[in-house]
Amino acid sequence: MQPLTPRILLFRTVVATVLLLAIMLACALVGPQDISLKAAVSGPRDGATPGLDYEILMRVRIPRVLLAAMVGAALASSGVVFQALLRNPLADPYILGISSGAGLGAILAVIGGLSWTLWGRSPIAVFAFLGALGTVWLVWGIGRITGKYQVTGLLLAGVVVNAFFSAMIMFLVSIAKGQQLYATIFWLMGNMAEEDLFVLWVGGGSILAGLVALFFLGPQLNIISVGHQDARSIGVPVERVELAAFAISAFITAVAVSLSGLIGFVGLIVPHAVRLLFGPDHRQLLPLSGLAGAMFLVVADTIARMVVAPAQLPVGVVTAMIGGPFFLFLLIRHSRKVYWPT
Amino acid sequence: MTAAIQVNQISFGYGPQKPVLRQIDFAVEPGTFLAVAGPNGAGKSTLIQIMAGILRPQSGAVLLEGRNLHSYGVREQAQRIALVRQEFVPAFGFSVIETVLMARTPYYGQWGFESQEDRDLVAKALELTDTARFASRALGSLSSGERQRVFIARALAQNTPILLLDEPTSFLDLKYQAGIYDLLKSIQADMAVTVIAVTHDINLASQYCDEALLLYPLTEDSSGSTDGSGPGRPAQFRIGRTAEIFAPEEIQRAFGVHVFSGRVGTERFILPLGARAKDANPPTLRT
Repeated sequence: MQPLTPRILLFRTVVATVLLLAIMLACALVGPQDISLKAAVSGPRDGATPGLDYEILMRVRIPRVLLAAMVGAALASSGVVFQALLRNPLADPYILGISSGAGLGAILAVIGGLSWTLWGRSPIAVFAFLGALGTVWLVWGIGRITGKYQVTGLLLAGVVVNAFFSAMIMFLVSIAKGQQLYATIFWLMGNMAEEDLFVLWVGGGSILAGLVALFFLGPQLNIISVGHQDARSIGVPVERVELAAFAISAFITAVAVSLSGLIGFVGLIVPHAVRLLFGPDHRQLLPLSGLAGAMFLVVADTIARMVVAPAQLPVGVVTAMIGGPFFLFLLIRHSRKVYWPT
Repeated sequence: MTAAIQVNQISFGYGPQKPVLRQIDFAVEPGTFLAVAGPNGAGKSTLIQIMAGILRPQSGAVLLEGRNLHSYGVREQAQRIALVRQEFVPAFGFSVIETVLMARTPYYGQWGFESQEDRDLVAKALELTDTARFASRALGSLSSGERQRVFIARALAQNTPILLLDEPTSFLDLKYQAGIYDLLKSIQADMAVTVIAVTHDINLASQYCDEALLLYPLTEDSSGSTDGSGPGRPAQFRIGRTAEIFAPEEIQRAFGVHVFSGRVGTERFILPLGARAKDANPPTLRT
């Protein structure tokens, strides 16, 4: 693979962005209710009351597609960062406990029967966000104590905390009542809903800021993904870069999870697929994975709201059902090109 | 002349019960090729990690160009010392040229790309290590010896006056061992780089290095207060010309194994002979 040049990077990023926008538009027009783009855009100009097509497009479809794109981009990019920091191609954004922490927070909110809102967000989202950040902070702290230069301690801490919190989730699920159970299961499987614009602005803004910041850590992540000491000995301030990359990706994952529940597979297979196609350079891997993750989740969510229409599937079911086989296909086909750490 | 690296009365241990290095004290003149040898557990890798600033000595200091190593910033130090660790396969499939370019990461422009100067340094490093012809191949598809040359190329692209290596030829076959030492010798001779290599290969070190440092493992007796020899206890290390340090008696004492020694030309070779070796009792121990 030839080294990356700014021109190639710019070209690929622009092409992927155009492709994403096209997919988002196409998916916004697809749904149980047929709408026409022409009717939708001409709607508000004709008279005082905008047409039904316009309403559906602007208030239901576009917010939903935007949400899926944001969440997909956040999960795929943090997947890239976690894989680099842990030097482990099997890592994903949930490996250090974010998922179980968020799940526990969400279930506590459901079972507690809380009904207040904070900036338009339900207690489920707020508790999930806090649970995610609290857990990941705990795991990072344990990892720091157990081994300064070894990621095994961090990984094991993540696995153990995940298992412990999952047990607590299962305990709470088993004592939950019918309606609570339904809401909980949907949340745990990853679920999208129509969000109001304010939430999209805040969530999307913070995710986008995080993605831009991560892009500028790309060169350092390259050498860190080779080795902690390698990075230090060539002159990269490793501790600072690792902490920044970890904090940013944990934060955008927590935002994504609090908006849509636990959507699996995006953070694992998208970075892999992009790496197999375009190589491991993080300067390119980060933007392209973000864009590809957005495309993938927009399509998956469209399928989730179409297959059992007018009812909806949790989107996590779709990502796992597409993602699992697709990942196995990639793994078998390209396993000779992937070099596992020894 | 100021020493390239001066190790000043360094002691180090992993916890109070496990002292590894005790009052190591030596200086390396610029342009020297130094071999660091000694039995497993004697603290060779610990010493090289202290010299690379990865570990901090518990007492004493490393002086780099006369200044305490820990007063250097990460980037400032990386402009003076490059470190090559044991050959390995990284987790992700970076190509040779991508790997060597990484040495220039701290000097990339604001958009995260290398300058022409960076590219020139990398091209030169690829050429010197004879890795340019497989520059676009993935590291995992190379042989161990080729991969080790790539890591040495990455260290060269750092453009430092000092090169530290931690067992650069372990796991390599005979041809690659000789190849790596030829390369290190030419780096020392042609580029006036100070090369310090931890090695188990006393014979190759005898052929290529100027000086040798031999470390002895610390035992409970020699390190603790129960040491009977008191203030006059023997030093944990010896340093000098390779011929003098790698003398058969010294090696036998340091490694605790019976050895056979002979001469190739001007330099000695040393062969360990265990009790069950075919020639366990050679007629004479020639020196």
